[in-house]
Amino acid sequence: MLLEVSNLRLYFKTLRGDVKAVDGVSFSLDKGKTLGIVGESGCGKSSTANAIVRNLPRNVSRYEGRICLEDMDLIPLSEDEFRSKIRWRRISMVFQGAMNSLNPVLKVGFQVAEPLIIHKGLSRGEALKIVEELFRLVGLSSEIVNRYPHELSGGMKQRAIIAMALTLNPDILILDEPTSALDVSIQAQIMNLLKNLKRKLGISMIFITHDIALASDICDEFGVMYAGELVELGSAEKILPSPKHPYTQKLLSSIPRLHSDKTPEFIPGAPPDLVAPPSGCRFHPRCPYVMDKCSRENPPNTLVNGGFVKCWLYK
Amino acid sequence: MEPILELIDIKTYFSVRKGLFKTLTVKAVDGISMTISRGEVVAVVGESGSGKTTLGRTAIKLIEPTSGKIVFKGSDITNIKGDIKWIRKEAQIIFQDPFSSLNPYMTIKQILEEPLIIHGVEDVSEREEIILRALNNVRLSPPEDFILKFPHMLSGGQRQRVCIARALVLNPSFIVADEPVSMIDASSRAEILLLFRELQEKYSIGMMYITHDIATAKYFSHNISVMYLGKIVEYGPTKEVLKNPFHPYTATLINAIPDPDPENRFRERSIVPGEPPSPINPPTGCRFHPRCPQIIDGKCSLSEPISREVDLKHFVACHLY
Amino acid sequence: MSFIRESFSEFWASNISKIGILFLAILVAVSIYTVTTLPLDFGVRYWYNPVYWVDYPKSAQPEWINIFLSEKLMSHVELSISKASGIKPYNNRFIKYYNVSYNHECNQFPKFITLRISDLLFYRRDSPPIVRFYVTRPDGRTIELYTLAIETISSNATPPFRYFSMEPKRILLSGDIYLARSLVSFLYREFNISLGTSGVLEVGSEKIIFGSIGGDNTFTPLIGRYVFSAVLICSDVNDGIGMFNVVLGGYVYGLMGTDVLGRDLFQGLLFGFPIALIIGVGVSLLTTFIGAGLGIVSGYIGGRVDDFIQRFADTINNIPLLPLLILLSFIFGGRLWLIIFVLVFFNWPSLTIIVRSMVLSAKASQFIEAAVAIGASRLRIMVKHIFPQVAPFVFAQMIFFTPYAILAESALSFLGLGDVTMPTWGQILEYGFKNGAVFLGYWWWILPPGLFIVYSAVTFVFIALGMEPVVNPRLRRWK
Ligand SMILES: Nc1ncnc2c1ncn2[C@@H]1O[C@H](COP(=O)(O)OP(=O)(O)OP(=O)(O)O)[C@@H](O)[C@H]1O
Ligand SMILES: Nc1ncnc2c1ncn2[C@@H]1O[C@H](COP(=O)(O)OP(=O)(O)OP(=O)(O)O)[C@@H](O)[C@H]1O
Ligand code: SF4
Ligand SMILES: [Mg+2]
Ligand SMILES: [Mg+2]
Repeated sequence: MLLEVSNLRLYFKTLRGDVKAVDGVSFSLDKGKTLGIVGESGCGKSSTANAIVRNLPRNVSRYEGRICLEDMDLIPLSEDEFRSKIRWRRISMVFQGAMNSLNPVLKVGFQVAEPLIIHKGLSRGEALKIVEELFRLVGLSSEIVNRYPHELSGGMKQRAIIAMALTLNPDILILDEPTSALDVSIQAQIMNLLKNLKRKLGISMIFITHDIALASDICDEFGVMYAGELVELGSAEKILPSPKHPYTQKLLSSIPRLHSDKTPEFIPGAPPDLVAPPSGCRFHPRCPYVMDKCSRENPPNTLVNGGFVKCWLYK
Repeated sequence: MEPILELIDIKTYFSVRKGLFKTLTVKAVDGISMTISRGEVVAVVGESGSGKTTLGRTAIKLIEPTSGKIVFKGSDITNIKGDIKWIRKEAQIIFQDPFSSLNPYMTIKQILEEPLIIHGVEDVSEREEIILRALNNVRLSPPEDFILKFPHMLSGGQRQRVCIARALVLNPSFIVADEPVSMIDASSRAEILLLFRELQEKYSIGMMYITHDIATAKYFSHNISVMYLGKIVEYGPTKEVLKNPFHPYTATLINAIPDPDPENRFRERSIVPGEPPSPINPPTGCRFHPRCPQIIDGKCSLSEPISREVDLKHFVACHLY
Repeated sequence: MSFIRESFSEFWASNISKIGILFLAILVAVSIYTVTTLPLDFGVRYWYNPVYWVDYPKSAQPEWINIFLSEKLMSHVELSISKASGIKPYNNRFIKYYNVSYNHECNQFPKFITLRISDLLFYRRDSPPIVRFYVTRPDGRTIELYTLAIETISSNATPPFRYFSMEPKRILLSGDIYLARSLVSFLYREFNISLGTSGVLEVGSEKIIFGSIGGDNTFTPLIGRYVFSAVLICSDVNDGIGMFNVVLGGYVYGLMGTDVLGRDLFQGLLFGFPIALIIGVGVSLLTTFIGAGLGIVSGYIGGRVDDFIQRFADTINNIPLLPLLILLSFIFGGRLWLIIFVLVFFNWPSLTIIVRSMVLSAKASQFIEAAVAIGASRLRIMVKHIFPQVAPFVFAQMIFFTPYAILAESALSFLGLGDVTMPTWGQILEYGFKNGAVFLGYWWWILPPGLFIVYSAVTFVFIALGMEPVVNPRLRRWK
């Protein structure tokens, strides 16, 4: 087991109260596997990823749980230790919208080389050599290192960002919505690239997206998030054809499908407020199978099919 | 079916200044013809920058076309300047971004009232009635709860419903819907689209449904036009085109979207290489030729294919046919 | 309109706007009070007329300062009487007494003593009256202060003859040589002290009149009742004095003290209220109206209109203000309307340029295009859709222009370009600086105008803050 996260919590302080963005999330990730974390916008996907790489904003009011990387608990590490040993070296991340955060006045190559210069103390020339190699790996020609961000298309920028995340040969790569700003054809190119990397480098990934169909392109396992909680976890083979949790079922049937004739469904009602989430099962106000118990008691994680489901229907 | 909008060889070019003296021409829409009838939904799909939005805005004269002819409800509106108000009443547009297309300083009531005021519905109670009906139509109920709210108090889906309500209060006969659900959470997209479809059928509205998501077009449109770099490369009944795409570009677009399937990860996706070229200097011949997997050497890069009816009402502009 | 009512209730909901409105109400009330009580030509007639202020104490602190002092300072005193207190025949002539009394209680001497008579009236051309002035001290001793003889009338004007009606006859006793002589004999007669006139002048007449003499010829203030009398010796029973005044110069005066010319700062500062309101509100309203209006038109309409407005604005922005102002005030003289005009004329361009750029970005918002798509006219779009986007900024500018205008006016006053016909806070402040009020510690001269300027600024800032949720719905209370 490469990474094991248990009972992870991340709350943000706001004027209205604490936003429970991540509320008791547990999962594990094996070497060479890819875990997809899917769910509606605002359900806490990015926050979960940020909690793992400890990329925290200032207004965090609660941050706890266990994050074990090969038996080393990361939570007790000091900020310095975490930065020098874990972040980018062991776990790196492609942030949501990162391609728009490239510094417009610096050459792309240099920006990608920066982690090498900082973490490994390489000279600029050495670092740029490695970057050229990485660029080839992600399908960019090596002359791109000398370009400025505005001279690249969206797809090229995203490739460069992925190269940057790979500079230090991490064990785990977290990708937060890496393709959502791109056109479908470019999206397909990036997905092929990720598949290649997965195969060639044997790297483990956490792939965060709201688009299950896209995730099915690369993920071996799925974690479905709803309102800060993981409501279902299981292998792609189990979840995609026969989702157990009512939310997962709804989510899957809301996807318009090109190759079948089923009309997409939708989930009625509004997404929950994470400051004051619904009592009991957080999905109960929108759930078609809601029972009395659901609004009163929070369902436990029930083992089903080698994964778990957080729903009273399966208890 | 009576045609409500006819576009005949529409070209819309923008000139952009580059440096001090150079101006470049962006051929955003470059010779498009299209007919939309009452009650018909035509989807316009294509990648970013292919000119979908420009086409939609040109169709209802938010932008003046560079050349071509626009016939709306039987009258040529290409060159009219002054008397445009009836077009503004008959043709509406819904924008992609429900967050920026509502004035943040106005209440929902004021937003919905505005078209009525502009188009001379003077009676206050009549206006109120129309607004409440419109809100009910888009299922923002009870409407009384919403009329005094400001846009920032609503979720994205609710805002987009307000946009739809605004487009509907004047009983238009034609609507351009520019990616109306792309900024809405996937789980409620279907809801908005179904609502849209229901209202469109109920009032028998002609619609241009612009999207980059071919899958939603499938459920929502009768006919589909696939755009590439300012041109329509394929046009036909939606089901037909999706089942049996002729143009290589359409085929790759369709292939690029997977259905959720655990087998996906063991397959490479078939992709179009490269990125769409710039509409400033479009490739010669068939504009798709530099990326086309089935390019015919010595032909595609030289002569521009013209649109042919290959199957019943199914047109394609490609040298393969 | 319900919109206005709603906006107002929104505005009224915050405490800060209540305070702002309270401050503004005070500002307006004081202005109205001032305009109705002081003459509109107060500036020319009084403030800038030094003669009017001669009998006021110079650089006197406010009177209420005594509350905090153990050793009280002498208040400024002006005594007056207009009716004879007694009449007595005297050798086929008459004597009329005009007595005023004053209780001296503090341990100081007056700064100066002035006698004043106005409206002297007589009938006999050949025998005009004589006025003698005396003071009777608490110790019962009397000093002759002054004798005023009127010349016989040689012209053929007809009686009654009137003297000192336009301007009172003013007799400044301090340093008067006639009085000094009288005091020499008084000292010799009563106390057997011989002091020459120069000695008397050296000690100071006030000290001798108001002092009891100590061992080594030092004077200490004599506490008690003083009676000043003007004695009119006349030939006709109808002859008389319209008004007799005695002014005893004090060390504290009025509510706000006086400046170096003796001007009552209370009146001057009071008059500053309506003027500040006019300058501040006038300039800011006009500037923001013109600046925002042109900015919106320029940004939204674009094209040639835009080019024209921007060129014009740039041009004005680059005209050096000062030489032009000097030229203008040379031509027209420093005038309030000129100052307002100039401040507006030179300030709208910067606002226009900023508003235009804001409009350009607002114009790109989709809801503007949505408004076009439903057929809204240009005017409607500018008023209903564009203006609210820039309104918070424009309001903020308006608020900032208000104190700016008041300050700019005082800066102009400092350069001698202010309106010389009316006092303003700026002018009072600047005059204070010029006369070393800071250096000399004349706080009552510097602080109030400064505080009033701050007060007026704060008023508008509070209103702006209260206004914020009205123009920016994001800050509205959740309904
Ligand atoms: N710094 C913060 N302070 C307060 N609330 C925050 C903060 N960051 C995120 N949130 C809130 O936490 C919740 C989860 O946010 P998060 O970004 O993890 O969602 P997400 O699932 O990644 O959504 P998306 O798909 O839109 O990226 C949201 O309601 C968000 O508003
Ligand atoms: N006002 C304008 N001035 C200059 N160029 C423009 C203007 N509007 C659009 N374009 C250019 O015209 C081309 C087509 O733009 P358009 O917005 O119509 O594309 P689209 O298909 O709607 O793309 P998207 O899916 O990103 O919305 C683009 O290259 C764009 O940069
Ligand atoms: S626990 Fe109840 S409410 Fe929640 S998903 Fe299961 S059935 Fe629905
Ligand atoms: Mg996110
Ligand atoms: Mg578009």
